[in-house]
Amino acid sequence: MNRIAMLGGLIAGLGFFFLPTLALKPNRLAPGTSFNLFEFQGDDRYLVLFVLALLPILLSFRHDVESRGWLLVGTGSLLFVLTLVLPAGAGRLLLETPEAFLDGGAFIRNPRILPAGAIATGLLGAYVTLFAGVRDLAKVEVQTWLQALATWLAPIVTLLLLLNGTFDVYSIMVEFYANGAALEQKFVEHLMFVFISLGVGFVVGVGLGLWASRDERLAPIILYAVGIIQTIPSLALFGVLLVPLARLGDQSFLATAGFFGIALVVAVALAGSYALLADREPGRVRIVHLIATAIGAAVPLALFVGVLVSFVFRLANVGFTSGAYGDTTGTILVLLLAALATWGVGRWFVPDESRWRRGLKVANWSLSAATAVAVVVLFVQASGSNRVLGGVESLSALTIRDLGVSGIGVAPALIALTLYSLLPLVRNTYAGLNNVDLAIIDSGRGMGMTPSQRFFQIELPLAFPVIMAGVRNAGVALVGIGTVATVIGAGGLGDFVIQGIVNTSIDQILLGAIPAIALALVLDAVLRGVEGLLTSPGIRQVQQ
Amino acid sequence: MIEFQNVVKRFPDGFTAVKGLNLTVHDGEITVFIGPSGCGKTTSMRMVNRLLSITEGKILVEGRDNRDFPAEELRRKIGYAIQQIGLFPHFTVLDNIAVVPRMLGWEESRIRKRVDELLDLVGLDPDINRDKYPRQLSGGQQQRVGVARALGADPPIMLMDEPFGAIDPITREVLQEEFLAIQQEIGKTIIFVTHDIDEAIKMGDRIAILRDGALEQYDTPDNILAHPKDRFVRDFVGSDRSLKRLGLVRVSELMDPESKPLVRMRDSTDKARQVIEEHKVRSAFVVDDEGVLKGWVDLDGIRHAPNSLIDAMMEADFHEIGVRKGNTAREALSAMVARGFRITPVVDKNGRLVGSITLKALQDLAEQEWSEEEATAS
Repeated sequence: MNRIAMLGGLIAGLGFFFLPTLALKPNRLAPGTSFNLFEFQGDDRYLVLFVLALLPILLSFRHDVESRGWLLVGTGSLLFVLTLVLPAGAGRLLLETPEAFLDGGAFIRNPRILPAGAIATGLLGAYVTLFAGVRDLAKVEVQTWLQALATWLAPIVTLLLLLNGTFDVYSIMVEFYANGAALEQKFVEHLMFVFISLGVGFVVGVGLGLWASRDERLAPIILYAVGIIQTIPSLALFGVLLVPLARLGDQSFLATAGFFGIALVVAVALAGSYALLADREPGRVRIVHLIATAIGAAVPLALFVGVLVSFVFRLANVGFTSGAYGDTTGTILVLLLAALATWGVGRWFVPDESRWRRGLKVANWSLSAATAVAVVVLFVQASGSNRVLGGVESLSALTIRDLGVSGIGVAPALIALTLYSLLPLVRNTYAGLNNVDLAIIDSGRGMGMTPSQRFFQIELPLAFPVIMAGVRNAGVALVGIGTVATVIGAGGLGDFVIQGIVNTSIDQILLGAIPAIALALVLDAVLRGVEGLLTSPGIRQVQQ
Repeated sequence: MIEFQNVVKRFPDGFTAVKGLNLTVHDGEITVFIGPSGCGKTTSMRMVNRLLSITEGKILVEGRDNRDFPAEELRRKIGYAIQQIGLFPHFTVLDNIAVVPRMLGWEESRIRKRVDELLDLVGLDPDINRDKYPRQLSGGQQQRVGVARALGADPPIMLMDEPFGAIDPITREVLQEEFLAIQQEIGKTIIFVTHDIDEAIKMGDRIAILRDGALEQYDTPDNILAHPKDRFVRDFVGSDRSLKRLGLVRVSELMDPESKPLVRMRDSTDKARQVIEEHKVRSAFVVDDEGVLKGWVDLDGIRHAPNSLIDAMMEADFHEIGVRKGNTAREALSAMVARGFRITPVVDKNGRLVGSITLKALQDLAEQEWSEEEATAS
């Protein structure tokens, strides 16, 4: 017996029986009237859904696992697609004569069809059934590609139907068509929030984690500090950053550049003296020296990175979203895909000793370099736009604000998001490196590996899955926290959510939320894939 | 050759682990460092490839101070195997064994050849095991790969820190035997650290017994067992050292090739009785026309079947009752104890009787040792 399939059938069946399937709203804002599956115009074909929903319960009693698996996969997939398709048809009928179904007093203007609870439970039940079926297939060791096909058929068909316009009747799609261009812009902004802060956070976090793993006395301090950051509410962090960033924005570019120059000298002097003297200093002096070095080097560095990143963000935002540099953007995409393809082919399809290996490597390097060049070209192109520097006359009149740093907007958002990404990155890097078996490192040392060989050939590959778990963790969290950045005017998908809350428009909230959820899921899946591909099979299972 | 010259190791916390060690490790020999925990055996070994720095004195490796080389270069010339094995779990067997050759910049084709050769040497089928990951191997197989990896670039010297310590006793015995056979072939200069005296006696050409960072006694296993320098060494090698020593002496050294109380299968029982009385033994060995051992006969047997020697004799396979020249005296003793004999036949590989070894000969060996000791004590 397949209990999971039974659960799927129960979820879908009870949902269709008790919950409303659609709501008809007289206009965008007013509450609507709900319809159960059995109330659709007395049209019996909608009852197919109900029968399909109950089918998994009957199928779950079958004994032959393989046929049961295929039947469940079929039922689940069909239920998944039809749960969206059939109510859409019913919705179209409702929209033809909305007056017939609404109270006499309703103000009918652009009436809308809202998918209601039963569609959610129907999809969930269908997915659970599908999952139960695939599990059966895995049990009898059906080929992997068939399992994958079974899993992805329904979502792919749904996607194709979506592109075909089958679901246009639903209010969320109406909202999508109304805001399509803005959605793309906000989505790219959101994506850039996540990628830039994750990128900076990765460098800083992995660096700190590495440092912590090398210095026992420092480790608790570093871990504690990044832990504290995590406890600050994001809204408060935005507020805290407001004043100093506004001040920074007022500074002239030249003065700040001078400051960075001096700070750089000081930082190098402090770091150098620490490296040379620390071992000979008594404990207390050493700690003071360390703190001075950390502050003296880290603060200017953080400021510099903050300014740089804000400016790059502005360049990238203009470059990717203004549509004015479509050719360059397309080139970047093509080059990037080609670089990835040569890398993948070289790694998995060409044996070590093949003479094609070298050629592919050269191709990969050239394509990667060309991609980087194309990005620089795009940035240079974009820097000509007056959306970047706002038409500043001369270098002496240039302020930091013109580079994109101000109390509200993107800069504080990026800084806050970067800070939030640190905890999982630092913690996982530290844990991953610290958990590498000492005997393995000792044997590497005993065989004559240099410290850097040990790090890159042993420690890093062994800690890699744990570090990547931290990256995934941080990435998914950043997609969510990124929506809050809207309150300081930074943009992103949060804009739709907050507008939806203000307008009490569920459709608008969903328009922001669904892409955010999808982004989080896709990001997690992609990072998981990268992790799987780059992790040695020798340790892959152990890490699960 | 590795030479310790007044080597001292003091740790930053003030603990002195090695106090002026002087010792020469000879080429092509297995030199075992042994002693109770904290005696400095591992510390001494780890100073050879500079995993630990030397506080005072120096260590000469092939005639040169080991601090003349960059540490990494030195280590690549010295094989290193440890108890925890320390295989890289994310590397295949091939990649693990190839670590040092790759660092030395060998051609990939030469590396592959070398890896297959080493896998063969340690008794693993290259075609089956080359591309496996360590977790797909048993503990014993992993340790074999560990040894193969230490031999990767054919270093003249090897350091082995309790390499068979974490392996179950049965597999350990097998690995010890295999490694001795390999050493016969490769003749490396090996420092072998262990805390197991039986392993030391079995593996070592020479044993260095260390105590509190100083050398207590340095000699061949036989001499250490026969002449322990003092009470510490005597206690350390154990009260059963006579028995242990029997494990080092070969049957060929103690057997009497003349003493053969034997009868042929077609001889009469009277002949058998006569032989038994003549040799003053309890039983006579029975051989066939080719001289192959077929069993034994005693007076009891003759009394029950006085007319036929074949009926009177106890038939037995020569593998079971006989020992070979190459066996240890300890195995001969074991055979005697098991069957209640005072004499055990020595046979060649075809089962032909070549002599015998008596309980008395074994006792004499032990007695000679005690009397020598009394002589030195007085």
